[in-house]
Amino acid sequence: MKTRKRAAINSSAQHVFDVLRTVSDAAEPPGVSDIGRRLGLTGSTVFRALTTLEASGYVSRFRNLPQFELGTMPYLLNRALLNRFEINLASRPFLHELARETGETVSLNVRLGWYSLRLSGVYGSRDIYHRDRLGELGFLHHGLPGRAILAFLADTELASMADFLAETGHEWPGEAAWAELRAILRGTAETGFLAEKLPMSPGFCAIGMPVRDEAGTAIASITINGPVFPSGNINTLLAVRDRLEAMILADPQRFASPFAHLPPERILLKVPRSKAAP
Amino acid sequence: MDQINHAVLDNREQNKAMARILTVLSSFASSRAEFGISELSQHLGMTKNMVFRAIKTLVEQDYVMRDPSGQRYQLGFRVLELQNVTSPEPTFRTLCAPAMQQIHELTGETVSLTVRALDYSVFIDGIETRKPGVWRLQIGALRPLHANSTGHVYLAFADDAALSDYIARHEHDPAPQSGESLNETALREDIAAIRKRGYATSVRQGMLPMASLAFPIWDAEHNLHGVISVGGPKERFEPLVAGLLPSITGIIETLCQRTRLYAASAASSEITL
Repeated sequence: MKTRKRAAINSSAQHVFDVLRTVSDAAEPPGVSDIGRRLGLTGSTVFRALTTLEASGYVSRFRNLPQFELGTMPYLLNRALLNRFEINLASRPFLHELARETGETVSLNVRLGWYSLRLSGVYGSRDIYHRDRLGELGFLHHGLPGRAILAFLADTELASMADFLAETGHEWPGEAAWAELRAILRGTAETGFLAEKLPMSPGFCAIGMPVRDEAGTAIASITINGPVFPSGNINTLLAVRDRLEAMILADPQRFASPFAHLPPERILLKVPRSKAAP
Repeated sequence: MDQINHAVLDNREQNKAMARILTVLSSFASSRAEFGISELSQHLGMTKNMVFRAIKTLVEQDYVMRDPSGQRYQLGFRVLELQNVTSPEPTFRTLCAPAMQQIHELTGETVSLTVRALDYSVFIDGIETRKPGVWRLQIGALRPLHANSTGHVYLAFADDAALSDYIARHEHDPAPQSGESLNETALREDIAAIRKRGYATSVRQGMLPMASLAFPIWDAEHNLHGVISVGGPKERFEPLVAGLLPSITGIIETLCQRTRLYAASAASSEITL
């Protein structure tokens, strides 16, 4: 797998960041020896790194055991980054409107390079609801929100994304599967939205609607992703989306991504394990 | 021996340097989007050189990046990797806990945290004083919003129409402590004072007169997540207030820089979504 080279930093700082990422990535809260084994570091080096991280709120002890989980600070940084997208707070009245209309969970995902990032969400009124995390990250071809964006990208961009996936080895589905996905996405582009059946709710589906810029390229998507959403009143929902698009078109500079100045291939992220597979 | 001492000192210096790097990164966990080196230096009390070295390391890791102008620094996309889908995100209570502890240590008095539930405030967390004359904390207890200064904070930062609606719904309710009906004039006067001051002060008369302060905890959409209150016997607490108020408001403001990252309406007082 090819990864972009990050500049060398002093080894102490590198160890601390490696330990932090190991805690972040672990399926179960790891202990000092688990981390040491994974990183090939001595127990005392790992212990020192954990002490520094704990004192700064980046990790915390798991239930008073000698195991560690992420502390509050990484989550705060995550939220701070989500709030840097102007569309986050500005879109909330529209998401509330859709949640009231459907009673379901409504989310806004934005495009970040070749990834989809869940930026904002509003719960509906139903007792049984769909719950996802803000800040959730996935490749554009994984999951409904990303595919609703991917369907409204130009063919040249799709080709660039395929190159990126193939070069980095990240979740590249292969030529045949990619061609099949493109055919499905072309159909989506014609209907203007994407509906996918919900496996646990027979007869019901989730809806993904692209949010486009003036060139018609998707910059975000709205997903209505409840377990019991009937696919009947789509025009009412599309009308709310249209008003959100109009707001963005009126002030495109304000709503541009804070990472819009970076080429997509510059943005290389490790997708959390459980969200990596389609 | 000398070599061992040098190694220990080196480790200490490296830990200090790393702690500085993490402190600089933590500065970006606020509603403020960008910083310059000088601003961070002033804000954190570090030399510009220290801040620059920390920023350089963070830029190399993609946790911080230059903004499009190239003059200032902003959060980098790689902080998105720092999340664990199997562990819970912080709740409103966990975010408030350090601030409540700090206020308790500063004052030695009882500190409580409430959220609004319809027309009531509900206690969800707190720390009781170890001194005599304890303001009892009953987690889960409900109080009508007009019944105490904590509730008045919720009413003060609701809009006028919502306040009038509340008064209309409760004008004949007896107050839980005194049994008297809601006094609209007194309530509106207190609310006007809270709006002007930004927080509530109150003295409750009785066998043991009690004094308290109550502070709004704000969200990303300028709504309230909840209210933190601190108070104790009037004779003990009131003389402390003037001296400690700047420190308490500083703690509350630091807390609000974090809680403003979250929208309260996303999950009705549960801060996660």
